Amino acid sequence: MKRVLAVALLPLSIGAAAADAPRPVVIRGARIVPVSGPVIENGTIVLADGKIASVGAAAAVPGVAEIIDGTGKTVYPGLIDALTTVGLVEIPSVSGTVDTTETGDVNPQARAWIAVQPHSELIPVARANGITAVLTAPLGGLVSGQSALLRLAGSTPDALTIKQPVAMHAVYPTGRAPFDISRLFEEPELKTFEDRVKERRQNQEKELRRLGNLLEDARAFARRTGADVDLAQEALAPVARGEMPMVMRADAEEDIRGAVRFAGEHGLKLIVAGGLEAWRCADLLKEKDVPVLLNVSRLPRRESDRYDASFANAAALARAGVRFAIVSDDASDVRNLPYEAAMARAYGLPAEAALRAITLSPAEILGVADRLGSLAAGKDADVIVTTGDIMDVRTQVTQVFIDGVAQSLESRHTRLWNEFKDRK
Amino acid sequence: MSGLAAFVIALLAAASPAPAPSPAPRTAETLAIRGGTIITLGPQGTIAGGTVLVRDGRIAAVGRDVAVPAGARTIDATGRYVIPGIVDAHSHTAIEDNVNECTDAVTAEVRIADVLDQHDINIYRELAGGVTSANVLHGSCNPIGGQNAVIKLRWGKRPEELLFEGAPRGVKFALGENVKRSNFRVPGATRFPVTRMGVEVVLRDAFRRAQDYKREWEEYDRKVKAAGPKGEKPLPPRKDLELDELRDILDGKVYVHAHCYRADEILMLIRLADEFHFKVRTFQHVLEGYKVATEIARHGAGASTFADSWGYKVEAYDAIPYNAAIMAAHGINVSINSDSDERARRLYWEAAKAMKYGGVSETEALKMVTLNPAWQLGIDKRVGSLETGKDADIAIFSAHPFDPSTRVEMTLVDGTVYFDRAKDETKGPLTSAGGAQ
Repeated sequence: MKRVLAVALLPLSIGAAAADAPRPVVIRGARIVPVSGPVIENGTIVLADGKIASVGAAAAVPGVAEIIDGTGKTVYPGLIDALTTVGLVEIPSVSGTVDTTETGDVNPQARAWIAVQPHSELIPVARANGITAVLTAPLGGLVSGQSALLRLAGSTPDALTIKQPVAMHAVYPTGRAPFDISRLFEEPELKTFEDRVKERRQNQEKELRRLGNLLEDARAFARRTGADVDLAQEALAPVARGEMPMVMRADAEEDIRGAVRFAGEHGLKLIVAGGLEAWRCADLLKEKDVPVLLNVSRLPRRESDRYDASFANAAALARAGVRFAIVSDDASDVRNLPYEAAMARAYGLPAEAALRAITLSPAEILGVADRLGSLAAGKDADVIVTTGDIMDVRTQVTQVFIDGVAQSLESRHTRLWNEFKDRK
Repeated sequence: MSGLAAFVIALLAAASPAPAPSPAPRTAETLAIRGGTIITLGPQGTIAGGTVLVRDGRIAAVGRDVAVPAGARTIDATGRYVIPGIVDAHSHTAIEDNVNECTDAVTAEVRIADVLDQHDINIYRELAGGVTSANVLHGSCNPIGGQNAVIKLRWGKRPEELLFEGAPRGVKFALGENVKRSNFRVPGATRFPVTRMGVEVVLRDAFRRAQDYKREWEEYDRKVKAAGPKGEKPLPPRKDLELDELRDILDGKVYVHAHCYRADEILMLIRLADEFHFKVRTFQHVLEGYKVATEIARHGAGASTFADSWGYKVEAYDAIPYNAAIMAAHGINVSINSDSDERARRLYWEAAKAMKYGGVSETEALKMVTLNPAWQLGIDKRVGSLETGKDADIAIFSAHPFDPSTRVEMTLVDGTVYFDRAKDETKGPLTSAGGAQ
């Protein structure tokens, strides 16, 4: 087709695309859920040159475009999973496919986007259910490394990468020894409860001092000119200056409070990940404006907790005004992100807020809301079309556009389905 | 009583789960659950604005025009959905730290019923997800793990009262990576097997021994009979608790619930079972069941699988969410299980995934967490659908169980309310001030 024809009908600002850009897409007559504004019944959305050209009840339709009849369909922004290991792990039990966790426990210089496998079978599986962008982050240790925001389309790590670095990832030290299956069968050392608590506290304080010193060193390093190369300090410097967010894993109330205190003492821009007991310190998180990357489908931390504590966590945070995104904190399970949001919704989070928690809220927390997370003119054309409510398990995703390009919904799963469904 | 009869009774007693099954606890209360949409999953289909009448712990009537006796307590289910209690065909709830007897490849003699922990809070949490019965199984450490316990989630009752009285006995088998111990190192000497070849050898050897054991006892029984009441008593063979159980599998008295993943190991067990003339009642996980659905259907086994978990190890890399739909289309009785204290609380949405992936009907999808697992555990005459005469094991949802805003409001077992969300709500919403406990 002749691109010129299409371009002529579109605003000049989006006419300067590469010659091989796909032709504009117009989805008409659909229920459009922009997230950033009210739902548009029977609306039209135009995607051109990788961007959303217009969203509205009566948007201008370019003459040469692919027209999609959206009757009976719902259009959403692509879903964003703000905490995953997609691309860093294929099969967790096969070490050759696992690049999540560097050896040693302080690895700020490890960068997720360096090791992303674009041909992971996990990517098409997640994409087919409407997830178009994921934060991929390293795991483990005290400082795990730096995360990147990935689009779930592309053939090279660079093509996948939307933004890097996004954040430095760390694990708030609990003072407990990390789980080690090979020690499971050892006789435990006999200690009193008091001694164990004391030991744990000492370990925790030691680790926190260590992390504090690392940040101090990074600050000092950044001030020096002609300092010896130190990749770790170089990587930590923007974190120490409060420019790059530090995502700290913390679940227990005391650990979340500890992370907030630590961030305050060291001038960090903190994001809490996990947040199992975030509801117990929602007021503090609100006061300090600390966002939370929340994993909903978990068992409550304490036997005495309400049975629905982790399901109702999001609603409690919303009531307190805490910013949060709902995440899978997984790789193969990313496709179930909308049902994590649904569970929060079933337990008190308003439906609009639940949708926001997997679209615009993660975009805001990750600093890409100008490009992703809502349907508005000028934003990246990451758009999904569904047969209904995206949080309803029964809903089918019928189209996925990333940067305005229609994506295949095939995956390892559909291939095997087709191979075997009619086997006699 | 003849010596033989006494012996047989003694033998049966020795082979049954430890505590003698008590009769189902009965509640005197007569209940009428009124006004809701009743999804019976039985011949009565779905009834809008119907009534479920509960008397003596059983369903006395279901229908649109059910006469409610005076004095019956009414539960208003207007706007709500009433479904049979969910049955989880693969659970490790209420047996903390007692999942695997790893020391030997065959431990058919160990019993879950001996280690039930009635204080496990997850019993209550799962009730709050509408679950009323569970198949509590050993782990997958060895080819033959031990004897299961089918329980009802009678929160607050003693361990022996949790047992689903009269449920058929079952033994957990396991194949593949976990048995081979592929993914973790256990200190000490290597335990046979470490290959799928070895798994087959262990099972074959076990059933050969069970055949010999069966013959020895049959021979002994014949000699006892031939000797008559006054003759010289022959010396009985040595009693073997492990082989007792395997012999009962050969005799079709005990179900086999076999953990498996890959198509080859599923075929292996089908061939082995055919050769030794026993049936596998369920293949558990059975993530590649879709590749050999024809063979599973021909054998007559049920399949209890995950809705869409995949990729967590090599043998789960070919797992697809269409598995349940493909197996069901081949005529296999399919259930969706949790294998997790957490996932058990949202099995209703796991079932909905069978609709999403492969187009199973809504009714069939719901059966995958109710009537189908009930059949797999041999308790379908008692639970799994809302029919007159069945146990009053009921879950009441705020909306259709597949709706994205639904939650369980109330769960009854034997006509007794074991979970009532309204009571939890009196603790107040979650707040920083610590209003909730």
